[in-house]
Amino acid sequence: MTDMIALEQLTKNYPGQARPAVDKLDLTIPEGEIVILVGPSGCGKTTTLKMINRIIEPSSGIIRLQGEDVTRADPDELRRRIGYVIQQVGLFPHQTIGRNIAAVPRLLGWSRQRIADRLDELLHLVGMDPATYLGRYPKELSGGQRQRIGVARALAADPPVMLMDEPFGALDPISRERLQNEFLRLQGQIGKTIVFVTHDIDEAIKMGDRIAILREGSTVAQYDTPETVLAAPADDFVKEFIGSGASLKGLGLARVREVSLADWPTSQISAGREAARRALDSSDHGWVLLLDEQRRPVRWVEARALQGEGSLDRVGLEVRAIVEPTATLVGALESMLGSRVGVVVVVDGSGAFLGTIDMRVIMSAVEVMRAAAHKRVLDDRRRVRAGQEPPANAIAAQ
Amino acid sequence: MSDRTLVGDVPPHGEDEAFLGNDDALALVGGTDPTRGTRQPGSRSMSVAVKARRYLGFPAVLALVCVAVGTYVARADLDDVERRLLTFDRIIDATLVHLQLVGISTLAVIVLAVPLGILVTRPAATRLTPVVVALGNLGQTVPSLGVIVLFAILFAPGFKGAVFALVVYAFLPILRNTIVGLQQIDPFLIESARGMGMSNGTVLRSIELPLAVPVILAGVRTAAVINVGTATIGAFTNAGGLGGIIFGGIVQSRTPVIVVGSILTAVLALLLDHVLGVVEEVLRPRGL
Ligand SMILES: Nc1ncnc2c1ncn2[C@@H]1O[C@H](COP(=O)(O)OP(=O)(O)OP(=O)(O)O)[C@@H](O)[C@H]1O
Ligand SMILES: [Mg+2]
Repeated sequence: MTDMIALEQLTKNYPGQARPAVDKLDLTIPEGEIVILVGPSGCGKTTTLKMINRIIEPSSGIIRLQGEDVTRADPDELRRRIGYVIQQVGLFPHQTIGRNIAAVPRLLGWSRQRIADRLDELLHLVGMDPATYLGRYPKELSGGQRQRIGVARALAADPPVMLMDEPFGALDPISRERLQNEFLRLQGQIGKTIVFVTHDIDEAIKMGDRIAILREGSTVAQYDTPETVLAAPADDFVKEFIGSGASLKGLGLARVREVSLADWPTSQISAGREAARRALDSSDHGWVLLLDEQRRPVRWVEARALQGEGSLDRVGLEVRAIVEPTATLVGALESMLGSRVGVVVVVDGSGAFLGTIDMRVIMSAVEVMRAAAHKRVLDDRRRVRAGQEPPANAIAAQ
Repeated sequence: MSDRTLVGDVPPHGEDEAFLGNDDALALVGGTDPTRGTRQPGSRSMSVAVKARRYLGFPAVLALVCVAVGTYVARADLDDVERRLLTFDRIIDATLVHLQLVGISTLAVIVLAVPLGILVTRPAATRLTPVVVALGNLGQTVPSLGVIVLFAILFAPGFKGAVFALVVYAFLPILRNTIVGLQQIDPFLIESARGMGMSNGTVLRSIELPLAVPVILAGVRTAAVINVGTATIGAFTNAGGLGGIIFGGIVQSRTPVIVVGSILTAVLALLLDHVLGVVEEVLRPRGL
């Protein structure tokens, strides 16, 4: 497999910026693959991408396209060989869809007939009806349709390379998912070399043949297939980054009954102070939970408050953070944050103690959800790539 | 004052249409029928009758005003001085001269200010923009009579000097609207145009200028209408035009003459405003 793009020691210093936005980046992009640049905001993804077509001129380093050093080539010539799709799409509002798509072919001096044929072909490719859409203006399309036209326009002159900067970033989740799937199918037909920027790790896993996880200064933390990145993250930065997706959303869906609860030292109020002291001593927690005759949680007590004699009815703190197994983990987390002890007590329908939820329980639930989510994205991607979903045209033009 | 006249202009037909990013004008002209897919460029779905009413209604009203003025002049009990000042030939001649003053000066400003506006908005020259706008402002803040007298002294009194003065006076609206029109374009449009390999010249010609046209034309319209009023002052330096009639009325203390001259000036300003509004509408790129 040959390299379509090679970046060698590529560097960008913005004037007045202490540190380079891109710092001596070495990266090769194999022909026919989708390479995703992913990383936290401001790490230099966009700067890196825009140096490839020299919208941003590199401060130093070399860009090779198909082996040829294009660092000092005529930028206009270079750009006609590279498709470019941005999040804002950038369709020209005063030109029809047909005219928009024909922009590069016209620059290249194609004949009318050739352009007309190509327009038809491209609209079919992105699943839109040429007769309906070619004469329309951009504002007469939906956001998803505009983005499809943006992709068609970038493909117009059949460039070997496509650069895409968060192309689906401005779409709602449903349209984004649909366009991602369509795009993967499309790529199955056209086999372009694609550099794709996103900050969404799930999108990276789904769309990428390879993922370059970047940290500040566009330094490569790991450059590998999605499977490898997930199975063997190179370091803590990568580990943390691939865990960053959608945790809160998952916590809102998961129920308390689905997690394994943490145990906690308890003692019956009626058993007296001595029993409570023993329960506390035999654990490594600082608080003991006092239960009434029906095993309902009543008070939190520290060792200090257990000294001396007398009834336990009024010592310690009232137990406020109590949830039932049907509560969501977000609900449990909220109660936990409002509790002095940092623990939520879980009770059954009759109010009897079942166990507790602390930060560790939440974290391990998040771990499980992440693993499941990544598996789902990988499965999804496999399915889409194997073409096991309805053809693009069936759902495309809504 | 200049902000209102530059950017918040009212079109001749009375719809409250701001000229930036407003779809109403297009909706009225082009219709918003979502099924049209194969319409020819330039074909507009509005019926001829509606169009005629829209474009010709207001001029018809102005024509009625002129007829009323004409009838008054013909029928009213005017003395000899008034009769001499208000002959048909004098009125026609003054109107034509007035139109020439306005037309020549406005065209000259377009030829000068639009390229200058383009020049100062190029990335290499953005630091020049405030300086140039400040100079343009200077022309406008000096009282118009002052400018006209100054130019009459500097150049020749009469027609030529007045044209020069009007050029200075109308420069800012067109310059500023050219600059604003170019600067308000979404930078992502320019980026994507550059990103597909268009040269700077091509981007200017096929993206930036068409998108700036509505704003530039609004500036032209403002400038031209201001000039109709300002040109009357040219009479003080013997430039002719409708100001000559008004001035004559003042010198001879003949109120009817002053009123007729003023009404005709106002009619001319309103007509020009309407015509340029129509031009704006026709030249506004479709799809905006
Ligand atoms: N024109 C500029 N002038 C100065 N600094 C810039 C410029 N563009 C970007 N930067 C800086 O360079 C760094 C990288 O920016 P870049 O846009 O490449 O980040 P990114 O990874 O694309 O971030 P995001 O995910 O938010 O889009 C940032 O610190 C940014 O502030
Ligand atoms: Mg970015």
